[in-house]
Amino acid sequence: MKTLKNIFNSLLYKIRPIFSGHYIAIAGLIGFSFFLLVAIFAPWIAPQNPYDLMVLDIMDGLLPPLSKLGNGTTAWLGTDALGRDILSAVMYGLRLSLFVAFVAVSIGTTIGVILGLLAAVKGGWVETIIMRAVDLKVSFPGILLALMMLAIFGTGVDKIIYALIIGVWASKARLTRSQALSEMQKEYIDAARISGIPNWRIMMRFLLPNSIAPVLVVVPMALSGAIGAEATLSFLGVGVPITEPSLGLLIANGNDYILSGKWWISIIPGVVLVSLVLCINVVADRIREYNNPYLKAKDQ
Amino acid sequence: MNKAPLLEIKNLTVTYPQGPQGKDELKALDQIFINLSEGQITGIVGESGAGKSTIGKAILGLLDSPAKLVSGEIRFLGNSLVGLSEAQFESLRGNQIGYIYQNPMTALNPVLTIGEQVMEAIEANTDMSGIKAREYAIQLLERADVSFAEDRLQKYPHQLSGGLCQRIVFAIAIAAKPKLIIADEPTTALDVTVQQSVLQTLIKLSQQEQIAIILITHDIGVIAETCDYVYVLRYGRHVEQNATNKVLQRPTQDYTRSLMASVPLIEKRLHRFALNEEDKLEDTSTGLHYLQEKQTTQDSTNESLLEVRNLSKIFITPSSLLKAKQSFTAVKGVNFTVQRGETVGIVGESGSGKSTIGRMILGLEDITEGSVIYRGKDLKLITDSTERRAHCLSMQCIFQDPYSSLNPRMSAGENITYGLKIHNLIDRNKAKSLAQDLMSLVGLKREDADKLPHAFSGGERQRIGIARSLGYRPDFIFCDEPTSALDVSVQANLLNLLKDLQEQFSLTLLFVSHDLAVIRQMCDRVIVMKEGEALENDSNDNIFEQPKHEYTRSLLDAMPKFQGLAQY
Amino acid sequence: MIKYILKRFWQSGILALIMSLIVFFGMYVVGDPVEMLSDEDWTEQDKIELAIELGLDKPLHEQYLNFAGDIVQGDFGVSFVYNRPVLDLIVERLPATLEVALLAMVIGLSIGIPLGIYSGIKGNSRGPRIISFFTTIGYSTPNFWQAILLILVFAVFFQWLPASGRGLTNPMFGIEWSLLSIDGLQHMALPAINLAIYKICMQSRLARSGTQEILYQEYMTFARAKGITRNRIIRRHLLRNILIPIVTITGLEIGGLIAFSTVTETVFAWPGIGKLLLDSIHMVDRPVVVAYLILITLMFVFINFIVDVLYAFLDPRIRHQK
Repeated sequence: MKTLKNIFNSLLYKIRPIFSGHYIAIAGLIGFSFFLLVAIFAPWIAPQNPYDLMVLDIMDGLLPPLSKLGNGTTAWLGTDALGRDILSAVMYGLRLSLFVAFVAVSIGTTIGVILGLLAAVKGGWVETIIMRAVDLKVSFPGILLALMMLAIFGTGVDKIIYALIIGVWASKARLTRSQALSEMQKEYIDAARISGIPNWRIMMRFLLPNSIAPVLVVVPMALSGAIGAEATLSFLGVGVPITEPSLGLLIANGNDYILSGKWWISIIPGVVLVSLVLCINVVADRIREYNNPYLKAKDQ
Repeated sequence: MNKAPLLEIKNLTVTYPQGPQGKDELKALDQIFINLSEGQITGIVGESGAGKSTIGKAILGLLDSPAKLVSGEIRFLGNSLVGLSEAQFESLRGNQIGYIYQNPMTALNPVLTIGEQVMEAIEANTDMSGIKAREYAIQLLERADVSFAEDRLQKYPHQLSGGLCQRIVFAIAIAAKPKLIIADEPTTALDVTVQQSVLQTLIKLSQQEQIAIILITHDIGVIAETCDYVYVLRYGRHVEQNATNKVLQRPTQDYTRSLMASVPLIEKRLHRFALNEEDKLEDTSTGLHYLQEKQTTQDSTNESLLEVRNLSKIFITPSSLLKAKQSFTAVKGVNFTVQRGETVGIVGESGSGKSTIGRMILGLEDITEGSVIYRGKDLKLITDSTERRAHCLSMQCIFQDPYSSLNPRMSAGENITYGLKIHNLIDRNKAKSLAQDLMSLVGLKREDADKLPHAFSGGERQRIGIARSLGYRPDFIFCDEPTSALDVSVQANLLNLLKDLQEQFSLTLLFVSHDLAVIRQMCDRVIVMKEGEALENDSNDNIFEQPKHEYTRSLLDAMPKFQGLAQY
Repeated sequence: MIKYILKRFWQSGILALIMSLIVFFGMYVVGDPVEMLSDEDWTEQDKIELAIELGLDKPLHEQYLNFAGDIVQGDFGVSFVYNRPVLDLIVERLPATLEVALLAMVIGLSIGIPLGIYSGIKGNSRGPRIISFFTTIGYSTPNFWQAILLILVFAVFFQWLPASGRGLTNPMFGIEWSLLSIDGLQHMALPAINLAIYKICMQSRLARSGTQEILYQEYMTFARAKGITRNRIIRRHLLRNILIPIVTITGLEIGGLIAFSTVTETVFAWPGIGKLLLDSIHMVDRPVVVAYLILITLMFVFINFIVDVLYAFLDPRIRHQK
């Protein structure tokens, strides 16, 4: 318990100087925390389970915000064509969008970091193969690769996570490798080698902790990127299945009704999506700015 | 002299905001005064943190944004320079006052040709342009001793050597015949043999064109060779000022005296540097005991500890589809032996292969050819893994760069004992107390063992590095330029420590340095290297007093002459 | 220099080869064309015959060679849906995609880069902060969502601009261009703006960080110490240096634009190759998808190659590499 408290304190100690005085970034952090909490607790706080087709009533379809539903409850943000409560759908959509992005970014980053470290430490053909694969990946826009993946393997939550991982890993591997290579030039690695410390220990205890910082700095950026990409793919109809709509799919569903004035179906999930990405991006920008040596000189 | 001095600085104070909110401030300069008359070469000397460079930037209005000129006067030919507008400074810079940077490779724009960069300075500060400016540019380069001046105009900075680039920077600085040039460590980034001639060019230009120079440097040898007058600074404060030979030989202030005593001399070998060292407060007996435990196991002492036979290293860049295989011979057939308890020095310029030899001995680089016999055995022929490990661990290294030789994510104590714990050479419970013992032995506080490396200064980090190598109770330590990144007074302290430790434990050292004076002070025997070859291998006195090889003589000639403190 | 170009050319070739392998394996090995082409009432015999007809009984490397051979000869097969040669379908729609992408590129570069350099030079003052506020919102808004908003505002609410289709086209060099008619330009406006907004935001942010990085280089201070005026330093030292990253990014962004045109074209019903790709994915029209991926790959490889060569021309450090 004491160590947990210590970790929390040291975390706070590190985070405070990043954000102090930067109100937009603080607002972003608060906003993101709010969305995160809503996403985690959606099943307990949403008025309705939008995935449960039994509770939906087609008679409640396309109602504007603040309408009364057939069962007497109020649809604060209106309903869609199936009679689904938009508020609940957005909460569940947020949950799915964040889940997909979190899983993809954590797996993608882990794979990237491991491959980057391996490339740096092993060198030779291991490095050649890894880095050529990275080059291959980075010379194509992520969205196109994802479309290709989904065209080959079909759609689904798992497939879209794979597609997003493909988009995430390469740049992290490149970043880790270049950082690890510059760390390996440093003399403390030589000191470890002449002390006969085994390679895997050098990798985990010396290289990893000293190479990971620049990767962690871009993780928030990757997260917002993944959320945007998932929304785009789902909007195009090649992402999550229609039965479990994410924010992007909700927008796509409502898109057909926009021209007939039923704006809420599409606009509300859209606003939530943009706010979420915006919150993450202002936090990400601030973290990057804080870690940029060129800007830091000015910042002091 | 009744006219106004060329430059007059009074009470100059410059601050940097500090701390998380920027509320505290650090005084980079505190009440500094400087007077300079025309054509005079004035030195400003001090160790890191003295605020030397800030003076130059303040004069030209080039202070970087958080720095603030709080108070003081700067008068150039009687006119105040404080609070001038950017446009007023623009007409002053280059035209009246030139500036020379430490590193010519970063001062020149990599994507513009030399010609463009010289000519734009000419066009900005004189009324010449076009062909006339080009002709003048060639003249300037020739005056700055740039060979093939006309051809160089088409080149880019990366195609020229550092020394040439610095001469080009000189040419730019004198383009408009300024009255004053501020030279900020103009030779520090260059190789020893180049330093001397580049410096001579600068002095020649100053005399030819009647240009006064403010020479900012940490190198007392450079001051001794070039300056008429010198100011000594420390922590942004004025310490002492006087004619150069007076400050250097009969300093009046304690700081100046200890600074001068710290400068390693080339003329004679001293037992220790005469510093006012505080007595060690900590009890070092437990650390001593740990290290002495092993000394008893030593075998016969007259046999040589290390023998290097015909050692060669060829670096090969493997061929790819369109690039032929490239090879570079870093070390060519080097032979030498190191006796127990002896310190052998290897001296040479960058690229002479001196560090590569050490790295091959330690097993950090593969040996292309030849062999290393250590404790009577060739490492390559040892098959038993336990013996092999013991063999390797008894050779340790003290590294060059204090800022990269410790793992930044491990505490000082963990850095010292991590390897020992991995190999189960010590009891894990005793690791911490051992780390503390070793730290006190090298002159650090016991309680600092828990701090991370960034909490220590450069000199303190080198001490941690020494403690780390001592932890293995080594028979042999390779010292790879251990003080080249340190200030001269810190260097003297550290060299004294090494000498003490060597006496206490009869350590065997292989000491690599580019600095002849450091080698002179530290080593019993010296090997002179150039381009991978060992040119000379002789006793300390013979090398420095009767050098046989021409290259050794040229190295000695290139050393700035500093006689050291007058003995009184 | 020539060596450098040859090396890049060789690498490009390898890249194209690997991508064609990935597409081939992805499309023909992971997916089963027989299942796709057969109806439910087919017998096993029918399926085997189809497999032989498609050459699926042959060893893998032979199949790949046939596949690659057909592509080299320009034979990408026939679309299941349109029943026409795939290459014709794509070539027909390519101009529509290119004209929007290029228009967006021009808008993005001419607005984004000046904004970014301005922000970089001005540092932390009010102008750059306002710009950064808008660019952050801009790149935080997914492309398709911007498209929907553009339609809602300009097509539905104000009814100034049409929301879909290509409008009137006029021919030039035998190709129909919307660029050449007023109606066509009006139809192009929203898709082009949609693509350009993201470009403006990205370009200005990149130009800004590039500018700041260069401003902190020592040669910038040295140029000031030489007595050169601020304007001249910016014109000469800054622009010459920042040109290098900008050319690189611009080249790569052309690829990005083509990729994102899939989204834009879908929302605005713009009949280009991006919409064709998505329609084909939905209708499982495999030959079209394969052909699109192969052609796009070749195009990217080509763009990357050109960018590398340009880069070498601009950066003397590479130009003089031995």
